[in-house]
Amino acid sequence: MTIQTTLSGSFPKLPLTPGQSNVRVTRNRLDQGKATGRDLSEAIREATRRIIALQESAGIDIPVGGQVAWDDSQTFVARGIRGFEIAGLIRYLDTNTYYRQPEITGPISWTGPITAEDYRSAQEMAHRPVKAVLPGPYSLYRFSKDRHYREAAPALRALGEALALESGALEEAGAGWIHFEEPWLGRAAAADAPSIRAALEPLFHGRRARTTLHVPFRSPAAVFDTIRGLGWTALGLDLVESPEAWDLLPEVPKGRTVALGLIDARNTRLEDPARVAQAVDRARSIRPDLDWQLCPTASLEYLPVDRAAMKVARLAEAARLASRNGG
Amino acid sequence: MPRGLWTTTVGSFPKPPHLERARNQFARGEITAEALESLEREATADLIKKQEEIGLDILVDGELYRGDMTTFFAERMSGFEISNPVRSYGNRYYRKPIAVGPIRRNGPWTVDWWKFAQSRTKKPVKGMLTGPYTMMDWSFNEHYPTREAMAMDLADAIREEAIALAEAGAQYIQVDEPAVSVRPEELKLAIRALGRAVEGVKAKTITHICYGDFDVIYPAMLDLPVDMIDLEMANSRYDLLDRFRQHPFTKEIGYGVLDVHSHRIETRDEVKRGILRGLELLKPEQMYVDPDCGLKTRTVEEAMEKLAVMVAAVREVREERGITA
Ligand SMILES: [Zn+2]
Repeated sequence: MTIQTTLSGSFPKLPLTPGQSNVRVTRNRLDQGKATGRDLSEAIREATRRIIALQESAGIDIPVGGQVAWDDSQTFVARGIRGFEIAGLIRYLDTNTYYRQPEITGPISWTGPITAEDYRSAQEMAHRPVKAVLPGPYSLYRFSKDRHYREAAPALRALGEALALESGALEEAGAGWIHFEEPWLGRAAAADAPSIRAALEPLFHGRRARTTLHVPFRSPAAVFDTIRGLGWTALGLDLVESPEAWDLLPEVPKGRTVALGLIDARNTRLEDPARVAQAVDRARSIRPDLDWQLCPTASLEYLPVDRAAMKVARLAEAARLASRNGG
Repeated sequence: MPRGLWTTTVGSFPKPPHLERARNQFARGEITAEALESLEREATADLIKKQEEIGLDILVDGELYRGDMTTFFAERMSGFEISNPVRSYGNRYYRKPIAVGPIRRNGPWTVDWWKFAQSRTKKPVKGMLTGPYTMMDWSFNEHYPTREAMAMDLADAIREEAIALAEAGAQYIQVDEPAVSVRPEELKLAIRALGRAVEGVKAKTITHICYGDFDVIYPAMLDLPVDMIDLEMANSRYDLLDRFRQHPFTKEIGYGVLDVHSHRIETRDEVKRGILRGLELLKPEQMYVDPDCGLKTRTVEEAMEKLAVMVAAVREVREERGITA
């Protein structure tokens, strides 16, 4: 059986070879008044095209657009939702990267598509169906400062509904697969389960597109009972940073897909595809009934572009080996 | 008369614009390393003079010759390569160290700069290093089997530099560990590594921690084996004092009173109030007053104005409370 390959979240924006169109340089030139907003849009399109082409030529089955226009994983979407203001720069967990902290200052409501236009343009550049990627509502809440609701449950319900509406807009734009990035599920306690359910349920309810719930970094064991009960198509796990996430495989509901995060998105050391394929075999032997994807543990943007590209190639190679093994 | 409330800074100062330009020119191969270094020396000498004029008690060299706080050291050790740029936020990128072999110190990293800075003043100049836990956490690792093994090799290398600084005459040596606060489950490892790095170092040892969840690591972080822990107090509106009320702060403290992320210049009264709140729980001889963190993200003017306000506030408190330096 074939193993599908995919990426999660963002991809490094810099070109692999010098001389190519460069978003970083264009943004600096824009700040200096030497480039226009149109130059930047063109550079963003060019980088997106390059990122999709890199995935397609490596043989990635479900490519992503790479979030080239995003400053960080949260604010691009938070900015587009009414009720948020964007505050100062703070650390993004323990990754030594930063994000601007969204602050909830009023009632949360979705007033129109935020990512659909970029999705449409990425899909036009691709030969395969592109996966749309959104921050998950639970993590967006935990990354934010709540100055309005003051209790988690109503805020999370409102955020879940807002992101469900955004998912609907992505479906309208043609997205057949939507990925929600939820690092905070690995840091949640059992007591958080009801609010997690309130936030996540609307995402999967009546969804036409297939969906991934991806939990990078830590294992979501503490709230797995709740996660099991939700209607996602695929569950993404980080098996490098949290090998204990292997223990969740026996508990995954029948008929679902698990996206095995076996390519380390946070270290430059390159994986041996044969060993990754062995790990996939091990997963299949634990649960012969499930479907499988192979992916990096998290966003590849924690790496420099050269290593990220090599990891994509190794990922594809490992999946080919595993598909062959699986006969 | 009690003594205390000495004033200092956390380490980095903003690079003057002409030095930023020169660094870019050097990166493009337009000026020589010697030309850049002579500008760096000039700017460092000037910064020492400015710190004396402001009236700080313990000075720093300002790190005007350093780029990133991990890459600067990694470039000077064996066992590291430096990666292509990695994004930290938006359009900001940095090059990240990659451990590719055993990490060793092959020669001094900062001793000459420290000697140069100290030669320009009679006041003590702090030696400034990045700690082993932070160096490990903020690097890629292609060589070591465990995070601990890498941190401990780094600790040995850093210890050699700390000893060399102390032998050169540094009375204060600060080994920064800003990464300690983000993985509370590794605090014990950080404590072991920092302990190795300062073992047998004949100087007052300091560590600076920032941006963290102190609720989780306090009071356990008091086990960090240094004489002084430097903390951001102002940034969290002095919330940490509530923790000190429950569990007394047992070491000397670098007491941050200036928000380094804000352009706004604090008023003398608000800084004074912050210090007085500290004095309700801490002894003056325990307290070193400084900004929350490095000043490198401020403009030169903002940094100097903020420090002048801080020193003026300390002077008033000292006078009112009869505290001498
Ligand atoms: Zn700091």
